[in-house]
This record gives sequence, structure tokens and C-alpha cells, in this order.
Amino acid sequence: MAKKLSRKHFLAGAAPLVAAAPIVHLGLQQGASAAVPSATHLGHDHEHAAMGHAAMVGEAAPSIARDAAIDALLVPPQALPHEPGRVREYRLHAIDKDIEVARGVTFPAWTYNGTAPGPVIRATQDDLLRVHFANGGSHPHTIHFHGIHPANMDGVFEIAQPGETFTYEFPAKPYGMHLYHCHATPLKKHIHKGLYGAFIVDPPEPRKPAQELVMVMNAFDTDGDGENNFYAVNGPAFYYARYPIRVSRSQTVRIYLANLTEFDLINSFHLHGEFFRYYPTGSTDHFEYTDTVLLGQGQRGIVEIDFANTGLFMFHAHQSEFAELGWMGFFNVVD
Amino acid sequence: MAAEPRGSGRFRLWTLIPLALLAVVVLGFAATGDSLTGLVRDNPPAADEFDIRRVEFHPGEIQIRVTNPQHDDLTIGSVTVDDAIVPYTVDGRQTLGRLRSSTIEVPYQWVQDEPIAVGVTSSTGIQTTKEIAAAVETPEISGRSFLGYGLIGILVGVIPVALGLLWLPSLRRAAPQWLAAFMALTGGLLAFLALEALSEALELQAVLPGPLGGPGLVLLGASISYLALTFLSRRLMSGEGTGGVTGGLALATLVAIGIGLHNLGEGLAIGSSFAVGELALGTFLIVGFMVHNVTEGLGIATPIAEGRGSVSLGRLATLALVAGAPAILGAWLGGFITSDVLAVVFFAAAAGAALEVVVEVGRHVAHRAPGGLTSGYVLGGFLSGVAIMYVTGLLAG
Repeated sequence: MAKKLSRKHFLAGAAPLVAAAPIVHLGLQQGASAAVPSATHLGHDHEHAAMGHAAMVGEAAPSIARDAAIDALLVPPQALPHEPGRVREYRLHAIDKDIEVARGVTFPAWTYNGTAPGPVIRATQDDLLRVHFANGGSHPHTIHFHGIHPANMDGVFEIAQPGETFTYEFPAKPYGMHLYHCHATPLKKHIHKGLYGAFIVDPPEPRKPAQELVMVMNAFDTDGDGENNFYAVNGPAFYYARYPIRVSRSQTVRIYLANLTEFDLINSFHLHGEFFRYYPTGSTDHFEYTDTVLLGQGQRGIVEIDFANTGLFMFHAHQSEFAELGWMGFFNVVD
Repeated sequence: MAAEPRGSGRFRLWTLIPLALLAVVVLGFAATGDSLTGLVRDNPPAADEFDIRRVEFHPGEIQIRVTNPQHDDLTIGSVTVDDAIVPYTVDGRQTLGRLRSSTIEVPYQWVQDEPIAVGVTSSTGIQTTKEIAAAVETPEISGRSFLGYGLIGILVGVIPVALGLLWLPSLRRAAPQWLAAFMALTGGLLAFLALEALSEALELQAVLPGPLGGPGLVLLGASISYLALTFLSRRLMSGEGTGGVTGGLALATLVAIGIGLHNLGEGLAIGSSFAVGELALGTFLIVGFMVHNVTEGLGIATPIAEGRGSVSLGRLATLALVAGAPAILGAWLGGFITSDVLAVVFFAAAAGAALEVVVEVGRHVAHRAPGGLTSGYVLGGFLSGVAIMYVTGLLAG
């Protein structure tokens, strides 16, 4: 294998300063609802298994220590009722930051607000979305939102140089599960370094209550050979294997799912022991009833699960390689 | 300055002055930190890739020996087998200083005879991958495997050399010009072994971690063995009174030592390749090594035949062991111990020793052979020696 120099040291820059600033200002966001599920810590029953998937649950799963910033990505801001013209404000700071992408492995990422993916942006259709973008990184960046908006808000020509700011402002539409990412060139580099996140637009008619989760499928090429070394949802490899997501059987689980994996043509979501309704892009009532969906980069949709049983249910990419490189987790379904 | 008489003890004092000044300059430079090189550019980031030295397969477990070849400390971050992250434990330190090693133990149900790739990723995300052509169980040190490696060594080392020595009676009856031809043949085969050992040593040093390797290590090993053998030949010669040229039993002993060092390296290479599953030791290969090495016995027998003096069977057996038994030792070392450095040193030593013996043989032939070095018998013998080694070497390739 050819020797590769690491490239982590040239990213120091102004990151710490910017990171210290108050990070997400969630406009009208109130406290989390009581129905919000939380990730849990598994007991000791699985710790002594030596091999196979049993070795990848709880303490045995090689993921990072519990991180509040990562946990925050799992739960979207609360949906608000339809109120055309209401202003929803968010602040995104591009920050160069070394992040831990697997237990014991760091990656010199480019992030929005310090995590890859960045924070979840949520609005109700016809809200006026206002996103204040400040580039605290070392390269020019933008934010390109998927959805319907004017050409001058598209994040293609509005390049913010390091130290510059730009405010994106447009009415949020259409409803559905969307995403945002940096569109500066080289595009591949700016995306795989971590500049992406979920963008949810709620329909005028509220969706029925559910335990809502966000999962952004991503991956990291830590040695720069154009192939990913680690796969995950919402950041670190095996995070939800180490800290299974606790959900209640009595209420629908709704996952806002997006694929922002670079280098690989497709990614997928597969759930064990259950079927789900999958709404592609979530902008219509059309759904598919399945246990596996395939997504190209930029594809996204909404998954709705009504668990019939309790216990530990695995979810993972059905590309076995991705699953074994970190894109695997568990739901801990309880009564 | 005033000239002092040569041999004055004060020259030792003067030799210290450049060293003292060097120390001053070094300290001065170190005190400036990076500011001098910083005039040009920032230093590039440090390399941070591990070396995977050896991969062993045991029932339900893979052991990966890693070394840090870099200047700075490296930490083991993640371990993969066939592109899947696996749980592991480290026997030794997780963070390795320069040239330090640890063994990573991975519980894993590997599949017999199938290719497998293991990867070690440093905490900075740089992955090193080693591909193994076929996973086979690594022999443990046991009476059985000890015996097995010993037998391999005997088969490829001792037996062929002993068989080759049986040419002695027939050589004793050969005409002087034919004896010269066989001496030259011995020179040819030793020249072949010297080159083979040298190229092996250079090849092995190339994959050593940078700071350990280098052709310098090969030169050092070869020089030491060359000079040691030169010294030994002078000692042996003084006992024989052959007028400044080594011959007879003394020369045969030198030839045996040169060949023995070569067989040490050869045994080590066979043993370690076999242990890590890189070499399938089929019947054909063993036979190949035997045919290849039988010529070595001839090389030892020829100077004895020329010496005319009677040689006891015990002496002959000793010579066969000197030349052949190191293959056993090599096979044990290669089979049970991981040391690429040792392999480089052995092959370098073999190269130096064989070269030295070529020189001794050359002198001997020049001195004794009818027609000297340029007679047809000598030239033909030398070329035949090289050609025979080449052709039989194809069998062991």
C-alpha cells in the first residue's frame, strides 16, 4: 500500500474561536416534547460475547463515547402548526474541526456547527426560512438547499469566502424530507468532508403524532484514497449499536432518512423483524410497504414504522460492507 | 600551529575538537526550533501509517503484529478484517513509539485456504492493509512442529550436502585438469550463491521499516562475514603451510562455512514463508531444493580431493553438518520467530562469506591449476557451476 501523508494539521485556523460561539439558534423552537424517544445505554448482558453481531452491541461496539451534540442530531426540532409568513431563523457556521468518526479514529472534517452531518433545519411549509451562514472555515463554502427557492438563494453562486457571511432567505416548500449541503467546488471534497444536513419541511396539515427521528447516512474516507473507511448514520460509526435507540411500541416511529454518502453510488436502509411505510421525498401520500429501501446520493424520504414486537431490532445498510464498517444500529423497542 | 611529532598522545585530544564544535552547532540549531526550516515552508505533516509485520492464524483468532515505523507516536485506532470493523484487544501498548511493536488479537472465524485482508487504521485515520493469499493455521511451537521444521532443514540442507560429498572417491581419481575444472565449478556455484544471497538481502531490507533497513545493513553484514572468513582462512592456512594459498581441508572448511551461512538464510526463508502460509512446501519444491543443494556437497568435496591427504569420515560428517545443519536452525528461527532484520543479516552474511570463498577458490585455482585461471577447464568449470545452480534453482523457484 502506498504511503500517505496525513493532512490534518493544515486545518487549525479559526475553528476554536467560532466553535465557542453560541451555535444553533433555533428560532421559535420550544422544549422537546415528552413523546421524544431517547437513546439508551444497554446493560451488561451483551458485553462478554466475543464474535459476530453480538460483539457489536452496547459496550462491545467500537463507537465513541456518548456525545450530546451527536444525540441532538437524532431528534428533529418540533414541528410547528401552519402559519404562512412566520419567520424561522437558523444560524450555520462552517467550522474546520477534527471529529471522532469511530472509536479512536479522528478525521479533519469540515462541518456546519461542529458536527457531520450538521444540525437539522426544520420549517413548516410557507414559513419564511432565514438561515444566517458564517464561514469560519479555511475554504470558501455555501449552503445549497434542496426544495423550491429563487435562483439567487440556491447556494451555487453565493460563495462565502473564509470570514464572510451570507443570509439565505426563502419561503419553505414543498413539504417533505429534504437536505442541504455545501456546493463549493470541488464538490466531492466539500461533501465528504462533512458539509451536509437534513432539512425538513412540514406539510400544512400536520402529520399524525409520532416518535420522530432523523437519520442522515454518511461515510468518511479518512485516508484520502477515494474509498470510505467508515460508514454511519448521523456521524460516528456504530453509534446506535453502542447506544441503541429506545422507542415505544405504542406509537409510530417516523424516521426522516437521507443519503449523503460520497464515493459510493448507493446506500440503503434495512430494518429487521418489521416492515415500514416508505414515502419517497415525503412530499406526497404515495408510499411503499417494505423492509429495505435503496437511496442514491441526495435521495431521501420518510420511514414510518409501527413495531409489532418489543426487543432489540437491528437496522443497517443492506450493503454488508457498509454495515460492517459502521452503518449498523439497534432499536430497543419497549412497551 | 607548531608541528608535533607523529604518534604523540595528544592527537586523541585534537580528535575531540570537531565533535565538540558539532555539538555546539547542533544545540544552537535545535534552540531555533522550526524557525530556520520555516524560512522555506512549513514542514509537511508527519506520516502516520503502521507497518503490518506478520499475520498469524490460530483457531478462532487472528494475530496481527504491527510496528510503528514513523518518527512520532502512533495509536491503533481501528482494525478491519476483509473490510469489516472487528473487535480486538492489544497485547502490548495501544500507542506505539518509534519502531515499537504490539500484537493485535482479533477473535475471528477465518476460512481455511481463502484469501483474507487485514487492516490497521491509525487514530489519524490512515489505514494499512495486508493481503494474505490463503489463510492457513500458523504452527504453534510444539514437539511436533519443532520436529517438522527440523526435518525440513535436514532434507534441504544436510542430506543433499552429505550426498554431494560422496563424489569424493571419484574426484580423488580425477586428472589434475579435471580437478581444476571442479574447483572452478565450486567457485561458480559459490558466486551464484553470493549473488542470490545478496539480492535476497537487498530485497528483504527494502520492505523493512525505513530506519531499520537500508542497503547499509546489507553492506555491514556482508563486510563482517567477509572479513571474519578472511581472518579464519589465514588461521587455517597457517596450520597447513601451503605457501600463502588456502587449499585442501582448510579450503573445504571455508567452502562449508560459506555454504552453511547460505543455508541458514535459505532455511529461515523457507521456514517463515511456510509458517505464514506464503509458501506451499510440496514434494516438488523439497526435491527442487535437494537437487539444488547436492551440488554444494560437490563444492566441498573438490578441495579435499585436491588436498590428497586422507580425511576421516568424522571430518567429512562434520563438514556436511557445518554446511547443511544451519538450514535446520534457519527453519526453526523462520518458523517460530518473527524477525525480518535477522533474515537480512543472515543473507548479507551469506553473501559476504560466499564471496570471500570465491576469492579463496580463485587464488587456489590460479596457483594450482594446470594452465591457471584462463584454461578452458577452469573457465568451463566456472560457467558450468553457475549454469548448474541456475538450472537446478528453477526447480526450487
